[in-house]
Amino acid sequence: MHVPDGFLSPQTYVPAFVAAAGAWAYAARQLQRRLDDTLLPRLAVLSALGFVLMSVMLPLPGGTSVHASGIGILAVVFGPWLTFAVVSLVLLLQALVFGAGGITVLPVNALAMGLAGSAAACLGYRLLKGLDERAGLFAAGWLAAVVPAVLIAIVLGVQPAIAHTADGQPLFFPFGLSVTLPAVLVPHVLLGIAEGLLTILVVSFLRRR
Amino acid sequence: MKDRLLLLGYAVAVLAATSIHDPLWLIVGLLLAFAAAGREAPTIGWRALRAVLVFNLVISVGYAASALFGQTVSVDYLILVNLRVFLLIFLTFTLAARVDFLRAVNFSRPLTYLTTLVLSQIITFRRLFEDLRLAGESRRLRRLRLRESYLQSAAAAVHLFDRAEHDAREIALAMRARGFFRPDAGNDARGD
Repeated sequence: MHVPDGFLSPQTYVPAFVAAAGAWAYAARQLQRRLDDTLLPRLAVLSALGFVLMSVMLPLPGGTSVHASGIGILAVVFGPWLTFAVVSLVLLLQALVFGAGGITVLPVNALAMGLAGSAAACLGYRLLKGLDERAGLFAAGWLAAVVPAVLIAIVLGVQPAIAHTADGQPLFFPFGLSVTLPAVLVPHVLLGIAEGLLTILVVSFLRRR
Repeated sequence: MKDRLLLLGYAVAVLAATSIHDPLWLIVGLLLAFAAAGREAPTIGWRALRAVLVFNLVISVGYAASALFGQTVSVDYLILVNLRVFLLIFLTFTLAARVDFLRAVNFSRPLTYLTTLVLSQIITFRRLFEDLRLAGESRRLRRLRLRESYLQSAAAAVHLFDRAEHDAREIALAMRARGFFRPDAGNDARGD
């Protein structure tokens, strides 16, 4: 679900950087407060797992990509703010090492996947775990895939309206919401099922150990 | 100081690349970026091309195909967006080759340690993944059935977890031995 570099206008990514800077500062304080010798190894392992899962990307016709992320797992185990911190770190490493995503799109990807995705995952898990633990974990994984996809499809889909030439030709992303919403959402609703099952498997595995 | 100047130059170049909509100026920017990359320019260029090729093809073909549905399609747009995306990725890879990433995050010690650990885990994961793949291939005479390949992947995943957690725990113990987690260490050890 990464937005590739070069498809977002400065009118989008500059305000996103400002918003993300505040969130990164708060997340860094949370990280500093909670980091200890039991949390650190687990955080590093699951972050690396997230990196590996996000590295296997399939491009979508709407101009973005589909991949698993492990964000549901991170959100259930560490909560939204630590997840936001490590997902931002993973996205930065991906941009620098593989050119996946990118620097201009980093705040949008981080806010959508790391913060909104993990917050939705935590909320879904808390609401459903009382009924059934596995349903809560599945919801966390599914929401962690679908909520960022909706946000990213909206951000991409409004680009032709935000940045265009005098004769209406796009300057950045060329497709509107009528293309991006179905092109991004349909695969991610299905991917969410795999992400939900992965979340159940990995979190159950971690709890047994 | 050098790293900060490079980061500043990169930020200005990225803002310029996304604010200029004339392909000729983007070509000038690309030539300047090639000059800045020096002897590494062909290697970085090839990496950047591989990184953007699939996405840009998908978008360019999708955009061109919209002409079939009566939409106005501009060749100028295709040139502009492909040049811009390539330039941005080229700049990012040039920066990554020039700047020490761990030094760039050293304003926060927890972030530096976490980055070190995550990088070490990524290297561990990738090496083990390749080792397991090669070991699996060298030990089988026929293609695995779907169930067998799932079982093999699950076993490999458990092994990867065990190994990565063991390594991360060892590093955390070494950090504890050096006083990183001492509550009385304050900002000096936990740092910011």
